[in-house]
This record gives sequence, C-alpha cells and structure tokens, in this order.
Amino acid sequence: VTRALEVARAALAASGEDGEAVALAERSGLARFAGSEVHQPTLIDNVVVTLRVVRGRRSGVATTNRTDDDGFADLARRAGEAADSAPEDPDFQGLATPPGPPPVEGYDEATARLEPDDQARLASAAIAAAGELPVYGFFTSGESELAVVSSTGVSAEQRMTDAMALVVAADTDRSGYAEQTAWRVDGVDPEAVAREAVVKAGRTNGAGDLRPGRYRAVLEPYAFAELLENFANDSFGAQGLLEERGFLGGRIGELVFDPRVTIVDDSLDPRGLPKAFDFEGMPKQRVTLIEEGVARGVVWDRATAARAGGNADSTGHAPPPGERDAGPLPGALSVAGGEAESVDELVELVGDGIYVTRLHYLSVAQPREGVITGMTRDGTFRICDGKIAEPLMNLRFTVAVPELLKEVPGLTRDVSLVNANDFYGERYPRGTLVPAIATATFNITGVGSAPGI
Amino acid sequence: VPSVRDLCRAAVDTAVGAGAEYADARAVLRRSQSVATKNGRVDALIDSESEGIGVRVLVGGAWGFACDRRLSADGVRDAALRAWMFARAAGGGNARARTLAPVEPHTASYRTPVERDPFAVSLAEKVEHCLRADEALQGPHLVVRQAMVRAQREHKVLVSSDGTDVEQELTECGGGIDCAAARDGVFQTRSYPSAHVGSSCQGGWEYVDGLGLEQEAPRVAEEVEALLTAKVCPSMVTTVVLDGDQVALQVHESVGHPTELDRIYGTEASYAGTSFLKADDLGSLRYGSEHMNITADPTTPGGLGTFAFDDEGVPAARQPVVEGGLLTGFLTSRETAARIGAGNGGSMRAEAWHRMPLVRMTNLHIEPGEGTLDDLLADVSDGIYMETNKSWSIDDKRLNFQFGTQIAWEIRDGTRGRMLRDATYTGITPQFWGKLDAVAGRDAWRLYGLTNCGKGQPGQSAHVSHGAAPARFREVQVGVKA
Repeated sequence: VTRALEVARAALAASGEDGEAVALAERSGLARFAGSEVHQPTLIDNVVVTLRVVRGRRSGVATTNRTDDDGFADLARRAGEAADSAPEDPDFQGLATPPGPPPVEGYDEATARLEPDDQARLASAAIAAAGELPVYGFFTSGESELAVVSSTGVSAEQRMTDAMALVVAADTDRSGYAEQTAWRVDGVDPEAVAREAVVKAGRTNGAGDLRPGRYRAVLEPYAFAELLENFANDSFGAQGLLEERGFLGGRIGELVFDPRVTIVDDSLDPRGLPKAFDFEGMPKQRVTLIEEGVARGVVWDRATAARAGGNADSTGHAPPPGERDAGPLPGALSVAGGEAESVDELVELVGDGIYVTRLHYLSVAQPREGVITGMTRDGTFRICDGKIAEPLMNLRFTVAVPELLKEVPGLTRDVSLVNANDFYGERYPRGTLVPAIATATFNITGVGSAPGI
Repeated sequence: VPSVRDLCRAAVDTAVGAGAEYADARAVLRRSQSVATKNGRVDALIDSESEGIGVRVLVGGAWGFACDRRLSADGVRDAALRAWMFARAAGGGNARARTLAPVEPHTASYRTPVERDPFAVSLAEKVEHCLRADEALQGPHLVVRQAMVRAQREHKVLVSSDGTDVEQELTECGGGIDCAAARDGVFQTRSYPSAHVGSSCQGGWEYVDGLGLEQEAPRVAEEVEALLTAKVCPSMVTTVVLDGDQVALQVHESVGHPTELDRIYGTEASYAGTSFLKADDLGSLRYGSEHMNITADPTTPGGLGTFAFDDEGVPAARQPVVEGGLLTGFLTSRETAARIGAGNGGSMRAEAWHRMPLVRMTNLHIEPGEGTLDDLLADVSDGIYMETNKSWSIDDKRLNFQFGTQIAWEIRDGTRGRMLRDATYTGITPQFWGKLDAVAGRDAWRLYGLTNCGKGQPGQSAHVSHGAAPARFREVQVGVKA
C-alpha cells in the first residue's frame, strides 16, 4: 500500500492553502467462485486522495488517484476552482481540530501479507470442504489505510486489515449460507464456512409453502444484522433525526423496544473491525443508541452537531468526503447478547413460528415507521413445537422494525460479526456485531421462489 | 511517452508472453463532477478523477484480473503479470477449457455526440442551477429541499489478444430534485424526474437544461405537501397504471436482471442472485402478454448503456429480448454466448478500470404501444395510478417483487381521483407481465437513466437506461401493509 499519510500530506502541501486531505489506500484480492470453480479473481491496488480547499467561508473538493507531482498540482487546482465556485457558507464552522485518536486494534500483519496465491488457496479450501454440493462465494483479504491531515494540524492515520469467506452452497433444489469476517485471517475458517453452508442447504430440500401472516420468528445473526443496518440508515444517524425521517425523532428518552434490546455503535470494539477516527479525523466514540429498550441517541458529525446546536457534538461519524450527503451513519453497530445459550434455545422460546437464516434485497418502504421489505433466502424453516421443522420457500416479509423489536423473547449470549461491506468503491471494512434474536412478530406478506439456484 | 494504446498493447503482450491464451487490457481515465444543494446551501461540490488499467487474462482455462493505477510501462506490466499469477493460482491446474464466442477484431473509435460539453459548463453555473431549483421548492412543511446535477466523461481504450483495438469517449450528465415534508409523524418524499439522484443520459448539458428542474419544482413541492394528508393506499387487488419511471424500474428488475445469462448460469448466486429462467427457455417461455416487447439496444442515442463496443470489443447491436410476450433473447458475454451457442455477447461492462467486466444491461427498453396516459386511464373503472419509484425489492430468482411509489391516485371511471400515499404493489414476474394489457405510445415513451445498478463481488455500480412509457396491468395486489 502506498502510505496514505504521505499521499494526504503531499496533496495538502500541493495546495499550500487552508484545507484538509483524506487518503484511502487499498491492496486487496478477492477470489470469487461459482459452481465450485474460481471464476472472477480480482486484485485491486489503489489510493484515492480527496482534497478540500477552504478559502474564507467557501470550500470545494477534488479527488484523484494520481500521486505524482502533476497529479497533486492538478488536484489542488481543481479543488481551488471548486472552492471559488461555491457561495459563501455563513454557517461554515471551520476545519476540525480534534484531539488525538484513541488506540485501536484492527491491523494484522499476517493478513496484510496474504498474496494472490494465498487468497486462491483459501477459496479452494472452501470449495474442497463443500464436497459434492456446488458452492458460490468468495474468499477475500485486504489491507486498507486511511489518513486525514489538515492545515489545522490534524495528522491521523490508521492501517486496517480484513478477511472474509462467504459461501452459498446450492444445487437446483436446496441452498444454504454462511460467512465469517475478521480483521485477522486466523479468525476466518473458509472450510468451516463451507461446511456450515452445506449443512444448512441439506435441510432445505422439499420446501413448502406458508400462508402470509404474522409469525413468531428466530433470525440468525446474518438476517438480524442486515435488517438492523437498513433501519439504522434512517433512524440511528443525526441527519435522519434532524430531517424527521428517522424513527427516533421525538422519541429520545422513551421506551421504544423490548428492554432486552441494547444497541450501541462501537468502532473501538476489537471484536469488530476497529476504527480510531472518522473522515474528518475526529476520534471515534462509543455511542449508546438504545439502552434496555430506551432510545438514547444517534451518531453525529461536526456538521449535523452544529446544525442541531445545544449539547450536540461530533461522535466521530463523519462520512467519506464523497458521501457527505448521507450524513453521519453508524458503521459498527453492536447489539448486546442475551441469555440464550444457543439458537436452539431461541427456537424453543418461539415454539411455533419461522426460522430465518439470511435476507435478500432489502428496501425501506417507510423510513419514519421503520418499515422494510425484503426476502428470506438460503435457509428458511418452520418452527414447530420448539424445534426447527420443515423447510420453507423463500418468503417476502414487510416488517416495521420497531414492532419486530417491541417484544423480544430472547437473544443468544454469543454475538457474531456480520460483514456490512459489499466492497463497492474503495475498501473500508465495516461490520455489525449481533446475536441471533427471537421476535414475537415477523410479518410475512408473500411467497417467492424455492431454495436452490 | 507511450500512448495509452501502446500501454494496453504492452499489457496484452506481457500477459500473452507469460503464457495467457487470451488477454485484454482496458485503460480508463474518468473525470466527474457532482454538485448538490440542500436547503439553500451547497451540500456537495466535488470534482473527481480516476485512472488506471485493468488486465484480464485466461490462463489454462482460468480467468484472472488485476489492475494498476499507474499508466506507465511498469504499471501495466505489473498488472498483466499479477493477473496472470492470480489466474494460474485460481485455476490450480484443474480449470475446464473455456470457449469465447468469436468476434471480428475492430480498430475504431467512438465519441458521444454532445451539443454543450458538460465540462465546459462552469461549476459556478452548476451551483447556480441547483440553487435556483432548490429555492423553487417551497412549502410550509418541507424539511428537505435538494437539487443535484452531475457530469462524467470516460475515456477508455480496449486492446485484446484477439486483435481488438478500440477507443471510446463516453460523456454523460444528469440531474434531479427531491424534497421531503413532515407533519404529525408523517414523512413523505417527492422527486423529479426520478428518485435516487435524478436521471442521467449520455450527451451534453442540453439534457440537464431540458429537464426544467426549476420549472418542475413548485409542482413537486405542492405534491409532497398534499401527500401529508393523503389517504393511505388501500389493500386490494385492482388495475394498476404505472408511470414510465416505475415501468422502467419494473423492466430493470424483473426483465433485465433475469435475462442476464451469467445469472442464469449461477455466477451471481453468491450476491445478486440467479434467475427463474433457464437457458433452454429461450424461444419457448411465455414471459408476459402479447403487449410485452422488450429490446436491448446499446445504440440508443442518449442511453447510459450506449457504446460502439462493449468491454470485450463486441460491436453494439440491437437485440430483441421479449417479443409479443415470448422470451427470445438473453444478455450475454462472449463466454456465456459460446456456452449457449447463440450470438457473440455484447453486454459486458465494467464499472471502472479496477473492476472485471460483467454481463450488464445496456439500454433495455419496453417498446411503446399506442395512445396516451389518459387513454390508459380511460379504460379503468376502478384502479390506482402510481408514479415515481420509492422502494424496490425482488427475490434472488427475480420472481417475487414488491415496489413502492412516492405518489398514487385513485382511478375512478377513467379519470384520476384522490391522491394516495405509501402506495405499494407486489406480484410474481411472469404472472404480472401476463396481466399487461396496454403500453402507451411513442409520444409518452421516455429514456430513464439509472446510475445505481449493483452487481458483482467486489461490487460494481452500472449506469443503465430504459426506454419506457406508462403501462397498465390488471389484477394486481396493491397496498401491502407492515
């Protein structure tokens, strides 16, 4: 990886003006397989630097991946032109002057050293472990580096690693899913991921229908994490709160979920994919969003905190410069585990209902109400008499997340890290730590295809 | 200094010299500008560029891809050798032989025709354009007023070991407005011309000027205010008329993706999903009613999927996908076309220099029928008219879908009645298209340009256009409740 800090400093120096430079570097490999053969192996090596030039109360942004003198000079010129094109912002609050970032883990030398041969070998290990059942998925590992420097003295850098194995085991009549993510490659076992997917697939043959309606349900961590991430985009960020789009608007301090539910955003947690600072260099903070069912707050960046006034302050959640329109969002959601020793115990608690492994293609239908629709996939089952029973077709659900979390019979004690990154754009590892959850209400509104490909 | 073309040739020569049986090198230089305002202030003002080379190789039957941002002799050699190394490791000596459909090599160049170069329009003018539209969005309960414009130019060179040597310069731009209103716990949004960052096309700034963002803003704001007190869409089975924007997304999700042949063969199973279609359904599967005619056309002027050659060097060609309701075509690559034994590909595109080409929609149109929107409504005694997409979801085989629109109206005795909010409809793809009984005519047909079509691992976002007109569907379930 080209040192992101050097790139950011060179970009800022090229402008010679007030401003801020953010560099994000990536060196990664992803060995994607389908039908048990690697078919799309991709190696990426890139660094993108974003320069924000500030001229009085005007500012403009430019980006490049050219890191020679000409590239930096051109970057400074374009950012300057952008600044000159902007009207004065009377509320411009100046550049950040943060304290130093906290120490975090999240970098593993062995993971950073993985080469294409290793990535292909680890993908092949998953394929081999699956045996006769065809598998579809990937192994990937990467090293990323984020640096933020500014004319106000910010100079922050963090090196990160991540590794992930994902497997869909499927033939025409059955399919199962599993994944593992960690910042240490030692924390990812592609063979175990493949075996979990194969075992799950083996139980989905002969899927039956289900009448739409409200069911008690158990959601595995894969399903719960994705649902929560989609809900969080509107409801756990300051912009959604200020724009009256999120569910938490007007409800801070109220009991909104089951008291068993506690949700934080914690980038400092070494069980996740740790981050020390945000894209303005502000230190990451652990933010309590829901405490024993009571709404406590949302995540902030400097811009939204200034807009809100009062006691609001940055929690270290400024998004990348090109994504500022989305506002600050949680990037390390973490749900406290419960008391159940296993998913089987949750199934017992549910008694009669449905069991959901993972979800597919979620969409927020009504943000204020937290209504989300999507499909179940790769392992949906009936729960009868406290046990997982016959497999089901993939089901369409339309749920109000607040209703789903209103009555929670239980959560597993163990939590799992579920990847929240589909590797669009530049690599920046994100994940969600969640237990499996039992809910009293999961609204099925339709039936889709059978498991299998 | 070697030219970009020379560098691509050097990359291909390096890969072939190392033992690749096939190689292509694609150098891309992209410049883009994005301006957005929110509530009267500049929210984004970004001028971006990115460049590099991606090298794809076939070694012993296994693919490999690597890239380098350095457009230099060292950079392209490193990319070629790393791609070769990854392919060799990926195949492990056991890969099956692959056949690519033959393509006649071309040496050619192509450039998007533009009247007014979007990059000749100053950033200051772009800011002013947004601020005027933003200011024109007014209403007592508006909590968000947004306007955005964008421009992109991509200069790319593709050289392959089959003799392809093509250079293309694709220019696109677009814009849109959004607003949101809130009152008494009700939150509603309204957008123009489409939700999700407006609409774009390949062409010059004349497209953005022609959108009339400032002129449309008062209507958009008025509608979002009215939505706050509108009745919620009831739950029932009824006749639905969709505006062109929503028809475009319906085509995208329930025809475009399922007809991608790589999905049918399972290569997207781990992410975007597969398809309810099978390769041998071609020519025999009834997709919809006789009113359903779908065409893939990368030659459409202004389409975001318009090019002279795809990223495998296959010349652009118009191709029917559904004719009179019968499935007659797939979207293919050279590899999948060879596997099915039909055509030679032509739908391969990569998001950027650092991504591998995938089978992507180009411009996928529903062909126009006859009449106007009012003519479609006139033949509905009781139904719902829905406009502008708000939410979208479809299963991994592209069968069960559920869409929501920003706004809807009752249809009573052939005319629009009361406004409805939170409108949704759901269905199963071939059953739904089987209930299509009218598509409006050429005068109501528009090109809708999407910039957020996701696929692949690592993820790629494609730019795709759909020509569509309002369409009418009978016996549709609407009003799905949480």
